[in-house]
Amino acid sequence: MEEEIEAQISDLSITKKKTEAEEEDQTLIFLDSVDDYLILIQTLSSTLRQGWLELASARHSMGASRVNTALLSLNHRSAATKLDLHYPHNIDGSITKSPQFNLCKWTSTDDNNSSMEKENIEEDEQLKENINSLESENQESSLESSKGSETVASPHKTENNFQKERAKVLKMFGTLVSPKLRASQLSFETALETLVKVANVRSSILEAHDALVKDTKNLKE
Amino acid sequence: MANRAQIPTNNSALIAMIADEDTVTGFLLAGVGNVDLRRKTNYLIVDSKTTVKQIEDAFKEFTTRDDVAIVLISQYVANMIRFLVDSYNKPVPAILEIPSKDHPYDPAHDSVLSRVKYLFSAESVASDRR
Repeated sequence: MEEEIEAQISDLSITKKKTEAEEEDQTLIFLDSVDDYLILIQTLSSTLRQGWLELASARHSMGASRVNTALLSLNHRSAATKLDLHYPHNIDGSITKSPQFNLCKWTSTDDNNSSMEKENIEEDEQLKENINSLESENQESSLESSKGSETVASPHKTENNFQKERAKVLKMFGTLVSPKLRASQLSFETALETLVKVANVRSSILEAHDALVKDTKNLKE
Repeated sequence: MANRAQIPTNNSALIAMIADEDTVTGFLLAGVGNVDLRRKTNYLIVDSKTTVKQIEDAFKEFTTRDDVAIVLISQYVANMIRFLVDSYNKPVPAILEIPSKDHPYDPAHDSVLSRVKYLFSAESVASDRR
């Protein structure tokens, strides 16, 4: 009988220690998330300040009438930069309430993009033909160079697509735009990347906070 | 039927904005601008003529749209509709308060930090980060 009581007491103390350890883990996750949030907001502030400064410089060189939102038409257009949402699984297999946000930059869904992809495919095929005709005598070296050219072509193709999409947006402000406007575009792109990180950290703050509140209620009970 | 839980799927979603002209222009340069077939945009430019009602309506519209995942709102604009922003508690769309040119970010007013500040001293968050 005494042994049973002692076993129950030791079980209870182990459970209590586990709960305290979990609460400490949640507290650490919460504090780290808040710290990350504040640091990211500071980074965002400085990136935005740079973007505003470059935009102001572009407005100064191009003229206020060329850099303002009055030029934005209300013709139908899809956003080139969007977000992908992903709901990760918890340890127990359940799906989290807060999603993870992923930024998808410069993904165009209009017809121009499909024709652009076709052009890129034709260019790749032509590139391969040229390489094969030049390296036809030595088979080993032709294989290596075709592999190398394929690996160089993929990031080059992505960057080409990015540049084309950026140029499409810049066309709203005229054919010839100031380099400052291009620089401002890049700054705001960087700010977007930071904002997506902020959104993810915000999700983890709220999740950790909810877990801490739940643990506190359990302890009181 | 009405109470069935939605199955989360990967899908493309927009970033909505309620901010001053320069901030909106900058983010439109980054490619987030969207105009649908009904000529509805995913942004509201706030200037001296914009009323609080217009801001409230835009906030309510963006937070109820299925295709919006993040709503960016300048903190000084969020202060005009603070009650609405603080009472919003859904995970999606995420409401992010951002600084503006003329109004720097104040962590004491941030809706996320104000929700959790009772776990800290309210002064330590604002003072340590200045």
